[in-house]
Amino acid sequence: MSNRRTFTDLLLWTVLAFVLGLVVCFSFLPLMGINPFTAAATMFGGVFADVYTMGNILVKMTPLILTGLAFAFTFKANLYNIGAQGQFYVGCTCAVSVSLALGGRMPGWIVMILAMLASVAGGAVIGFLIGYLKAKFNANEFLVSMMSTYVITYIMQLLLRTVLQESKHEYIKTNKLDKSVWLPKILPGTSVTLGIVISLAAAVIVWFILYKTTLGFRIRVTGQNMDAARLSGINPKKEFMTAFAISGAIAGLAGFVEVNGLQHMLLTGLDSDVGSYGIGIAIMASAHPIGVIFSSLLFGILQVGGTVLSHSTDAPASIIDLMLGFVMLFVLISFYFRRKVELARMKKKTAGEE
Amino acid sequence: MEQPVVELRGISKRFAKVLANDNVSMKIGKGEVVALLGENGAGKSTIMKILYGLYHETSGEIYVDGVRRRINSPKDAMDLGISMIQQHFSLVEAHTVTENIILGTVKGKIDFKKEEEAVQKLSDEYDFGVPAGARVGDLPVGIQQKVEILKALHRQTRILIMDEPTAVLMPQEIGTLMSFVRKFAEAGNSVIFITHKMKEVMEVADRIIIMRNGRITGEVRKDETDTKELARLMIGHDLEILSKEGTAEDAGRKKRLEVRHVTVQPKDAPAVLTDINFEIYEGEVFGIAGVSGNGQQELCEMIYGDLRPTSGEILLDGEDITPLGVAGRIEKGIGYCASDRYRYGMVANMSLAENMMLKASYLKKWDRHGVISWREVDRYTQKIIEDYQVKAPDASVPAGSLSGGNQQKVVVAREADMGSRLVIFDQPTRGLDLGAINNVQKVILRERSEGKSVLLISTELSELFELADRIAVMYQGRFMGIFDPQDLTTEKIGLLMAGVSMEEMTLRKEERTDE
Repeated sequence: MSNRRTFTDLLLWTVLAFVLGLVVCFSFLPLMGINPFTAAATMFGGVFADVYTMGNILVKMTPLILTGLAFAFTFKANLYNIGAQGQFYVGCTCAVSVSLALGGRMPGWIVMILAMLASVAGGAVIGFLIGYLKAKFNANEFLVSMMSTYVITYIMQLLLRTVLQESKHEYIKTNKLDKSVWLPKILPGTSVTLGIVISLAAAVIVWFILYKTTLGFRIRVTGQNMDAARLSGINPKKEFMTAFAISGAIAGLAGFVEVNGLQHMLLTGLDSDVGSYGIGIAIMASAHPIGVIFSSLLFGILQVGGTVLSHSTDAPASIIDLMLGFVMLFVLISFYFRRKVELARMKKKTAGEE
Repeated sequence: MEQPVVELRGISKRFAKVLANDNVSMKIGKGEVVALLGENGAGKSTIMKILYGLYHETSGEIYVDGVRRRINSPKDAMDLGISMIQQHFSLVEAHTVTENIILGTVKGKIDFKKEEEAVQKLSDEYDFGVPAGARVGDLPVGIQQKVEILKALHRQTRILIMDEPTAVLMPQEIGTLMSFVRKFAEAGNSVIFITHKMKEVMEVADRIIIMRNGRITGEVRKDETDTKELARLMIGHDLEILSKEGTAEDAGRKKRLEVRHVTVQPKDAPAVLTDINFEIYEGEVFGIAGVSGNGQQELCEMIYGDLRPTSGEILLDGEDITPLGVAGRIEKGIGYCASDRYRYGMVANMSLAENMMLKASYLKKWDRHGVISWREVDRYTQKIIEDYQVKAPDASVPAGSLSGGNQQKVVVAREADMGSRLVIFDQPTRGLDLGAINNVQKVILRERSEGKSVLLISTELSELFELADRIAVMYQGRFMGIFDPQDLTTEKIGLLMAGVSMEEMTLRKEERTDE
């Protein structure tokens, strides 16, 4: 009963924060000579006008769920994986390499499974390394993971300019993947692929690992109280490495769903903010794996809406970031007020008992 | 009664969720020592913090010398001659005694020499033996407390509030404190002494005010009462008398735990444990006495597998367990109630069920192939809640939402269960109220009668004398000896705790008789 109440509360506050964030964001539009009301109408009209655009929301969500999960997973161990972007690129590189090398020579689904495993393994190795540095040398995982993204980005660039570059040697990108290794589309009339199913499944699996298994239990205990973990026979260092490896694996998987699902090639600067959005998404969801799905949905809607807006009005493309920024800010503020209201309610309740 | 120095009328204090003080009224007379007695959470500290200006009353009035006063801050209180010595001292460790004492009372250019002389004179007046020029951080806790008292005296305090002042002291120091309190009161000052120990109350107080659940439940003169009545007023019912059956010396008992010449020496630091050598039999309670911080926690962690011995070995039922880590020793049936349960024994944000699972994550007790059956854990937790009468609605509430006593019940229940052969209790009753203490002690004796071995670490001597079959005294990481409780007196044990060995004691005695 009280659980349901907190849930409706959460929903109510988040919707309120969403609306307020948009209102504030749109109030800047008159400065650029744009009528905010028509802009709002254009945006929502555009987003929900046809199946294809609505499908795009799911397409945008697909990698965001995964990078959100990646951040959320380490967050449960009280660690910060700021390097999901880098692990995503490693996943992309692994997926594209396997797909290019084997595509067309074997049945497509076998290649795709191999590409998926490669991207997961690649991300996991990078994650594990960060965790290892943390465990072994007590290196600050925040900085190490953040800097690792830069290193990986440049290595990927190097590969794209050399061994992976397209046959024409014109642009910094790979050849297009063989059609047999494209993730199949699952909704007619849209670009939605099997990728979204993989992402949703990943969210459920992560939830299961965290809350239903001893593995996840140990990670959560380590995050909440390292001393108690140690005196319960849990080795916090091992948990750091495990948590980071799994987190990296999830971010790597995002590389696979983007490359084989949407881009069908790897190009420089691909989805360069999928990692940072993931952090915002995870925080907005209080790092709950299922919550990540919903906050990704929100981000997806805003991204697609922003694109529609910048295409059909004079609003600049950066309106997307402005909207995301404000909405996130208000959602975070709403946490504070939700807590206050909860406390006040409790006070009232205890007063009523006398 | 003549005009009281301080009078509280109908003070109530409400925090967000709880009513900490409910219509509390009391009068404190001149030259009187009043003990404020009550269990933890009875509202003793709260009411005094209101008088000292740290908290503000929700309703009620404060009168000092018959005049209504509003005390908004400790400064207001001090101006009226009220000082309070908190449980946790408010001293600047890097500063000298004098600097600490004059802090906030001096302006402009300070004549340190003159101030230091004044402080030293004040200290000598009361025989405190506090070096006025020493750095506070270098002084032992007992002396630091005297610095706090001097601070109050320096401010011309007439009404001195002391919050659990004996909690940090050694037995000998308690005596000195008590005589100061008497002397201070005889000079026409008033003392309010907050405590939950009845022995101290009977020793020092003229009048006793008993609080329970934020209300005053009784007010008695010392000479008209006894500890039994006080206990009843404090907890609302009589205490169960504990009884211990049989002795550990019964022939044919097996050695359960053997610790052989264990030394723990961290790199570039003095040894935390030196040549520890003892054994615990099955069905025995082995007690460790000592002032906190003399290696007790390290001893526990060494036996539990968290601290590796530099040399020596540990045997459980004859099997060498020295190479095993914590997980391995949990599996062998060792339970450990750490003294700081909040930090080492539980995860406050997790549910009771998750806390029950805490130490079992490698045991395959409630999981199959790593998948936890929370339904089984819940069922088990529910049973614990009923068996141990934990005040909690169900297994899903966060452990941190329970009161300290109930948290301890949960931890004790878990460890008693996990430790099928040996249970380590490090200060299991610290900070608990009488009812909860009784409860924990019953569990310890129950485990003993079931044939388990118990290692009991306590700073409460009475607890050790009541429960332990043998007592070892620890001082600076060493055992001062292992004794039969019958051969020990409080005085002897106090000296041992201070590092005076039995041989030195006999020597001293001989010297005295020689003279």
